Amino acid sequence: MTTTSDPGAVTRAPVPVPDADSAGFWESTRDGVLSIDRCTQCRRWQHPPLEACRHCGQPTRFEPVSGRGEVFSFIVVRQPTVPGHEPPYVVGLVELAEQSGIRLTGVVRAPVDAVHIGMPVEVRLMPVGGGEFRGPEFVPVSR
Amino acid sequence: MSVAIVGIGRTEYTRRSGRTPRAMAVEASRAAIADAGLTPGDVDGMVTFHVNDSCQPTEVAWGLGVDQLSWANAVLGGGNLVADQIATAAAVIEAGLCRAVIVYRSLNGRSGHRLGTMEGPIEVAGEWQFDAPASWLVPPQWFAMWARRHQHVYGSTCEDLGQIAVQQRAHAVPNEHAMMRTPMTMEDYLAGRWINEPFRVYDCTAEVDGAVAILVAGEDIAVTCRQSPVWLLGSANSQGGSGWSAWDDPTAMYARTAGPQLWNRTGLRPGDMDLACMYDCFTYTVMATMEGFGLCEPGQVGPFFAEGRATYGGDVVINPHGGLLSEGYIHGLNHHFEAALQLRGQAGTRQVQDANLALVTAGGGPYGGANIYSREHP
Ligand SMILES: [Zn+2]
Repeated sequence: MTTTSDPGAVTRAPVPVPDADSAGFWESTRDGVLSIDRCTQCRRWQHPPLEACRHCGQPTRFEPVSGRGEVFSFIVVRQPTVPGHEPPYVVGLVELAEQSGIRLTGVVRAPVDAVHIGMPVEVRLMPVGGGEFRGPEFVPVSR
Repeated sequence: MSVAIVGIGRTEYTRRSGRTPRAMAVEASRAAIADAGLTPGDVDGMVTFHVNDSCQPTEVAWGLGVDQLSWANAVLGGGNLVADQIATAAAVIEAGLCRAVIVYRSLNGRSGHRLGTMEGPIEVAGEWQFDAPASWLVPPQWFAMWARRHQHVYGSTCEDLGQIAVQQRAHAVPNEHAMMRTPMTMEDYLAGRWINEPFRVYDCTAEVDGAVAILVAGEDIAVTCRQSPVWLLGSANSQGGSGWSAWDDPTAMYARTAGPQLWNRTGLRPGDMDLACMYDCFTYTVMATMEGFGLCEPGQVGPFFAEGRATYGGDVVINPHGGLLSEGYIHGLNHHFEAALQLRGQAGTRQVQDANLALVTAGGGPYGGANIYSREHP
């Protein structure tokens, strides 16, 4: 969890509002499992989720993923313009190992100078907002 | 096409207008109508776009004393829609549904809602809900993420971004309408505070309060107006659906498809442009879209600016008014104002010599478009 000098900052962090397409994602993270939407027919993963496959139109369902991936890009937030984390911190755009182009954003819990594109990371599901749901953060791992 | 920009209007740009977006839109519209030598009763269409504060076309028309519009459209969207709105207005005119249309944008972008910041409590629904845990929710974060990828793939640098900011500031210095007119060196740029690495403060647009109105009409009206018509030669859009995290290649923006389409439609080439108003919500938007529209090879935009090719006497004058970065962020509609001023030969000390053709782009990331304007009748 982030430490902060402003106790209100974490509770003011943005809170996701699940909908019928995304409910399975958030319910899974609440159970401590990262699951991604996947086509039951062509087996392609898709994110953000939708009840039907964007490629073939067939039904999808959520399936657990490894939680492993690579940093595809990242920023170092130095000026806080959105509440939720104590600067400086790294937001990574992480491409999951399961399929090219399936990416999640999350804070990368590593020294800001240590993060680089291509860095292998693993997901950690942390409470967000009021704690009803969990959201992805990432930590470095050895390959 | 035989539709032209016949009138342009704007308010002053300030940090705190103390006025409503409606009042500013009415002032800018009246100015555009007067510029054309027309009267409010000649206007039968008004359109705008908005993601933060704005005002409805019917409210603005009322303020102009116009009680009936044939077309009144307010589209939810950002700077990606600007070129499209002018081109769509032209199509509406060519279809015979309207005779003269005002495209306007009015906002208290500085004193009202600022697009780069959010305050709690924040509930995030829809496509951005997955980015709530990382608080990755505002444009200065999205574009910085894309810029970093460009640096990784092409070896572009913060100094390359700085070249864009420094050149555009130099262009803004003589522009009395610009918000940021203090000359800036590369040292000044690099000393700017970090916002989201790799963006410093000078990579981000200058948010302002103000309004711009562009009056578009068909040839029948255009040839009777007070000002020389600025003809719309062509337009192309590429509005992508994949958002800021799933877009396949953040080193290239919408321009990779809109660019070739625009050149194919018009039969023109990037080298034909005398000036280009490149949408510059951030420096990186200029970099990626100059590459996409073929003004420069990928990875070479920094040197292009450093060698003086983006200014007077070079290949093409990029953002002679200083752009959104230095003139101010009227959501890109001020780019079309500047292009019209230049093609009319009325840009004063910053006039691009013999300006005949202008590229004006709109938007960034997955979404955007561009128009080409001509001084000469097509
Ligand atoms: Zn499928």
